[in-house]
Amino acid sequence: MSSASEEPISPETLVDFLRSVRIGLQDGLDPTAATERAVEALPDRLGEAVETIVNRLRGEYDEDEWGFDEQFAEAVFPLFEFLYDVWWRVETEGARNVPGHGRALLVANHAGSLFPFDAAMATTAIMREHPLPRWPRFMVLDWAFSLPFVSSFMRRAGGVPASSSNAARLLEEEELVMAFPEGAAGTGKPFSERYRLRRFGRGGFAEIALRTGAPIVPVAIVGAEETYPKLAESQTLARAVGAPFVPITPTFPWLGLLGLVPLPSRWRIDFCEPIDLSEHPPDAADDRRLVLDLSERVRETIQAKLYESLVKRRSTFL
Amino acid sequence: MPPGRRIAITGISTIWGAALARRLERDPEVEYLAGIDSRPPAIELARTEYIEADLRNPATSRLLPSTRVDTVVHCGILWYPEPGRPPKALHEINVIGTLQLLAACERTETLETVVVRGSAAIYGCEPASPFFFTEDLAGRGPLRTRFQRDISELESYFENFARRHPRLTCCMLRFQPEIGPELDAPLVRYLSLPVVPVQLGYDPRLQLLHAEDATGALEAAVRRPARGAVNVGPDGSISLSRLLRLCGRPALPILAPLFEPLMRRLAGGLGAGGLVGDGVRFLRYGRGVDNRRLRDQVGYEPRYDAVAAVRDLAAERAGRRIGPGLHPGEIAGRVTGVGR
Repeated sequence: MSSASEEPISPETLVDFLRSVRIGLQDGLDPTAATERAVEALPDRLGEAVETIVNRLRGEYDEDEWGFDEQFAEAVFPLFEFLYDVWWRVETEGARNVPGHGRALLVANHAGSLFPFDAAMATTAIMREHPLPRWPRFMVLDWAFSLPFVSSFMRRAGGVPASSSNAARLLEEEELVMAFPEGAAGTGKPFSERYRLRRFGRGGFAEIALRTGAPIVPVAIVGAEETYPKLAESQTLARAVGAPFVPITPTFPWLGLLGLVPLPSRWRIDFCEPIDLSEHPPDAADDRRLVLDLSERVRETIQAKLYESLVKRRSTFL
Repeated sequence: MPPGRRIAITGISTIWGAALARRLERDPEVEYLAGIDSRPPAIELARTEYIEADLRNPATSRLLPSTRVDTVVHCGILWYPEPGRPPKALHEINVIGTLQLLAACERTETLETVVVRGSAAIYGCEPASPFFFTEDLAGRGPLRTRFQRDISELESYFENFARRHPRLTCCMLRFQPEIGPELDAPLVRYLSLPVVPVQLGYDPRLQLLHAEDATGALEAAVRRPARGAVNVGPDGSISLSRLLRLCGRPALPILAPLFEPLMRRLAGGLGAGGLVGDGVRFLRYGRGVDNRRLRDQVGYEPRYDAVAAVRDLAAERAGRRIGPGLHPGEIAGRVTGVGR
């Protein structure tokens, strides 16, 4: 009872409930006892929970102008926490390198052929490890926004279609923006080429950072490559569904839906020192050489950090 | 602006043309108002001279110069088919009508300003669209629907016209779809269905402009026209699912490919017509525009943001309804007393 009631009261009671079950489990209780304890704490918050649910049904909740729905993000957060703590045992370093307020551009490597979970895990890392947590907005491959369910899920969780106009506007609104300049080339690379960074597009992210004066925080994510190792790809299937690629992994599509379960690799997320660009005037963004140099510098920083991190990780799965 | 403005409004039979005329009539600085259309004004107007003419007819070129107006406001672009104006006629009315009007403008020597009430449909509705289109982003996406092609065509005529006449102030307003408690438009009728069909798995971000702001922005643009295109949309955005909940309308999810045929069926019977084509894509992917030019250059500040516009519609609906609502949110609210 004690630890559950000491939890700070959050508006999302369902989250609290699941969290208190998890805390119970961590305290060494068996699942039934942990649930019982969480249920005992429930009546205090039941009224609150009912109110939240009814208000959602009545449309009385907030969405920002990007369609980000914080209550929704909080509701799915326990799932991310489970993946973060239990499934992938993520170790995060340098979370304090992410500015606590104001605009900033997180630039990360992209991997995980079938479902790139790296954005979700970086978000969890910031929400959990940062002294001033905030929800980053992430740039999503266009194609995902044409899919039913996926598109509305992404939008509510803070995703926007990857485009320079979206990124620039978010940064001007002092948001934390996460971009994956490798794009589909990063997620679609074969397993044999894991952790070898692809071209960073045309350096568009560097251009936006220069134009908006946002600092760039390079992020190196290790572990996503092993969640769905891409052994081959099916071009026929990709054409049929209009996807950039359809990966064949050791479990997908052989095991059907079960093949969608990501492998429990061990993850590390490193937030590197931010690169301050405030010395450059906004029109420096038109300087191709500066843009490409900056893009290459970020890419090399991430690549070096990835190799360092891979050594630190020691074991891939255990 | 010098006093004694002379203004011609085309499409005076539309609610927008008529509403604009009514507002300008109150202004003593407006010396003369002409309303040009093939049908009489939508509402009774005090001192607007109704000139019966079909814009598609080349006779407009002789008629317009004789009015000696300094401003032409083109409100004759139709978004939806109406009784007597079937879908096939819309292309003629919108594109050929604009073309003839511009030809007439060429001959009107007193002219200083042309304002066109266009549509944000030119941006289309794509899954990967920017969430806030700025004016320079038109024409980047593919042209998919008839209406979008028409708007794009007439905008290119208008751009050419503006280039040829640098002396004139040419302003193209790109309106987001309007809603309002008193507005009778296909989109409002659709949102007022007892059960609203939506496309399964899609929850578009919408920006619907309050009718009051639609007229307000049009009036502001006539008073202080900006050169080039100006988006007219509210601040913020709202998802369709939240919109329906606020309006207390249960949503009925339908497989996306079946949505268009269903809307076609509904078009006749329930009066939610005109939502095929553009409407279907709009209700799947949504669309948002950046309204900073409207604020900064035209100087119009929308009174309702995207959520407030919906709330205003919902408040009026709630007042008028008889009997208990069937929406789960309302039932839950009644049972638990939340929101009382």
